[in-house]
Amino acid sequence: MNALATIAFYLGVIAYSAASTLFFLELARQGALGTRAAWGPRVLAVGALFHAVHVVTASMLLNRCPVESLHFGLSFSALVAVAAFLLLRRHANLDPMGVLVAPIALTFLVGAQFVGVEEPEAFVSRPLLMLHVTANVLGLGIFVVAGAAGLLYLLQERRLRDKRAGGVASRLPSLDVLDRATHRLLLSGFPLLTFGVVSGAIFSHHLATSGGAATARTLFGFMTWFLLAAVLLLRKLAGVRGRRAAYGTVVGVLCILLVVVVYAVRPGGPGS
Amino acid sequence: MISVVGLSHKSAPIDVRERFALPAERVPELLLSVVERPPVGEALLVSTCNRVELVAAPRAGSTLEAVAAASRDALTALAPSTPQQSLYALTGGSAVRHLFGVAASLDSLVLGEPQILGQVKEAYEIARKTGTVGSVLHRTLSRAIRAAKRVRSGTSIGAGQVSVPSVAVDFARRIFGDLRGRAVLLVGSGDMAETTARSLQSSGARLLVIGRTPEKVRALAESFGGEPRAWNDLAAALEVADVVITSTSAPGFVIEPGPVTSARKKRRGKSQFFIDLAVPRDVNPAIEGMDGIFLYNVDDLSRIVSESLLTRGREAAQALTIIDEEAKSFDRWADAEQATPLVVALRERIRVALRIELERSLRGRLRHLGQPERDALETMLDASVNRVLHEPTTRLRQAASASDLDIPAFAELSTALEHVFALDEADAESEPQPSDAAAALAPVSDPLAAKLGQS
Repeated sequence: MNALATIAFYLGVIAYSAASTLFFLELARQGALGTRAAWGPRVLAVGALFHAVHVVTASMLLNRCPVESLHFGLSFSALVAVAAFLLLRRHANLDPMGVLVAPIALTFLVGAQFVGVEEPEAFVSRPLLMLHVTANVLGLGIFVVAGAAGLLYLLQERRLRDKRAGGVASRLPSLDVLDRATHRLLLSGFPLLTFGVVSGAIFSHHLATSGGAATARTLFGFMTWFLLAAVLLLRKLAGVRGRRAAYGTVVGVLCILLVVVVYAVRPGGPGS
Repeated sequence: MISVVGLSHKSAPIDVRERFALPAERVPELLLSVVERPPVGEALLVSTCNRVELVAAPRAGSTLEAVAAASRDALTALAPSTPQQSLYALTGGSAVRHLFGVAASLDSLVLGEPQILGQVKEAYEIARKTGTVGSVLHRTLSRAIRAAKRVRSGTSIGAGQVSVPSVAVDFARRIFGDLRGRAVLLVGSGDMAETTARSLQSSGARLLVIGRTPEKVRALAESFGGEPRAWNDLAAALEVADVVITSTSAPGFVIEPGPVTSARKKRRGKSQFFIDLAVPRDVNPAIEGMDGIFLYNVDDLSRIVSESLLTRGREAAQALTIIDEEAKSFDRWADAEQATPLVVALRERIRVALRIELERSLRGRLRHLGQPERDALETMLDASVNRVLHEPTTRLRQAASASDLDIPAFAELSTALEHVFALDEADAESEPQPSDAAAALAPVSDPLAAKLGQS
C-alpha cells in the first residue's frame, strides 16, 4: 500500500509537471494550432487519476479520512480544482486556463507533503469537523479555478485595452467566457465557503486554544466571505461584472489562500 | 521533376488573369487535354483569383522543357490573345521551390493567408479524381503540403490579421467569444464599415442599421438582411448592440459618454465594442475608460494591420529557409529516383536469368519436387535477387543523389552497368513464357502440367 501511494504520488507529480509544460508551450507557441493542444487536458486528467489514487491509498495507510485534516485537505482541494477545470472546459473553450490550474495542482500536491497530519481536536464533533473540512476542501478547489479565470480575465482585458494583437492573449479565452466561468464558479463555491466560515467560527469559539490568532483568522474568513458576497450581490443587483468583478474574485481567492496558510503555520499547527 | 507554367498577380493584371478563370467543372477537361499531349505524363491546375498555374510532370523520355512548352500551349489556348510575357515557366528545382512557396502562401497577394493551402489540396484532389496525377505529382504535392504545414506551425507567417475588417472580427471574438446571435449596430455607411459589418454578420451576428437618411438606411439594411432603425432610436439601439460600428460624416461626436453610460446600465455591465471608422471621429474617446467598454478607431485598427504585415514579412525569411530545406530533401529524393529504371532493369535481368535456370532444373533433376518445395525455391529465388542487389541498389541511389566527388558519377555507373549486363539489348534473356513457367513450376503429380513441361 505504501509503495502504491508513493508511486501514485510521483506519477501524479510527473503528469502534472508534463501537463503544466504542455499548457505553457501551447500558450507560448507560434503558428497554427499544434497537436499539443489536445494533450494538456489529457495529461492533466491522468495526473488527477494518480493524485486520487495517492490520496485514497495514503489516507487508508494512515487510517485517516481525507477530509479530516489539512494535509489531505490541501491535496484533495487540488484534485477538486482539476476536476472543476476539466468539467468546465467541456462547456467552454477554457483550455488555456490549464496553464494556471496544472501548476497550482502540482504545488498543492507537493505542498501537502510538508503539512503534517494533525490529530483532530478531541472536543470537536467529528462529523461536523468532516463536514467543515469537506466544505472547505471543495470550496478551495472551486475558488482556485475561479481565481485563475479572474486572473486570465484581467490579463485579456489589459491586452484589449492596450489594443495589442497576437501574442499570448490571442490564445486566451474571450472575456465573456472568462467572466461567465468566474461567476459560475463563485456561485458554486459560495455556499461551501459560507458553511466553512460559519462552522469554522463555531469551532474557533469552542477551541481551548482559541485566542487572538484564531479570532483574527475567523474575522479574516468573514471579511473574505463579505468580499465575495459583495462581488456576487453587486453583479446581481447593479450589473457589476468584468474587470471589477475579476479584481474582487482574485482578491477574495487570495484571502482564502491566506486563511489556509495562516491556519497551517499557526503555532502547533500542521505546517508550523 | 516538374514544370510550372502560369500567371499570377505578380505577372499579370486582373484583366489578363480573368481570361484564364476556368469554372471548376471544366478543369478535368483541361487536365485531360494536357496529358494527351505527348510530352506530358501528369498534370494538375492550381486556379485561384490570384493565380492560374499548370503543374506538370513529363512522360518517360520527355524533357521538362517540352513539358513546359506543352503546358504553355495548353494555357494559351484558353486565352489566345494573352501577352506572352504574362506567362512564366519554371522547370526542375525552381519549379519545385515555387510550388512549395505557393502552398506555404509566400507568393500570395496577402502574405501568409491560409486559404491557398486548401486551394492547392483541392487542385490535387481534382487532378487525382480525373486521373492525371501519377507518382511524381503525388510525391511533389505531398511534399509541398508538408512544407506549407511546417511553415505555418514553425513560423508566425499567418499571425495576426491583415485587414481592418478581420482585425475587428478578431477583437470582437476576444471580447465575446462566439459571435452568433450578437447584435452589431452599423451607424452611418462607408465601404470599410460595411465590409466590417458583413464580416461580423458572416460570423453569425445580426445586424442593425441606423442613419440620418431613412431611405439609405432601408436600402442598406435590405442589402445586408439587417434591421433598419430610425436615427432617433440611437440610444435604444445602443442598449442592444454588442458591437457598434460608426462611419458617419458628422463633423462632431455622434456617440457621447452619456448615452453609453445609460446603455451600459441597461445592459447590466455587459461588454460593448465600439469600432469608430469615421474621420473625424464619431465616438467620444472619453468612453474608453468605462469598465466593459472597448473603443478602437481607424488608426488603432490600421496600426494593428501594419504590425501584422510587418511580422509576416519578418517571418517570410524563416519560412524561405524551411522551403529551401524541404526542396533540397525533395531534390535528393528526385535524384535518387533517377536510379529506379536502372535498378528495375538490373533486378529483372538477374531474376529472369535465375528463373530460367531454376525452370531447367525443375524440368530435369528436380522434377520429383512437390509444390511446397517448388514454392520454397521460388521464394528463395526472390530473396536471393534481393540480397544480391541490395548493396548495388543503395550505392546506385547514393550515386544518383550525391554531390560528393568521392562517389562515382551516376552516369558512369549507369553506362557501365548497362554495358556489363547488356541491359540495352533487346535480345537478351527474356522472361519465360507463362506456359513454360506454369509447366515448370507445377508439381509432377499434375499430369497435364508435367506433360506440358516435357513438350
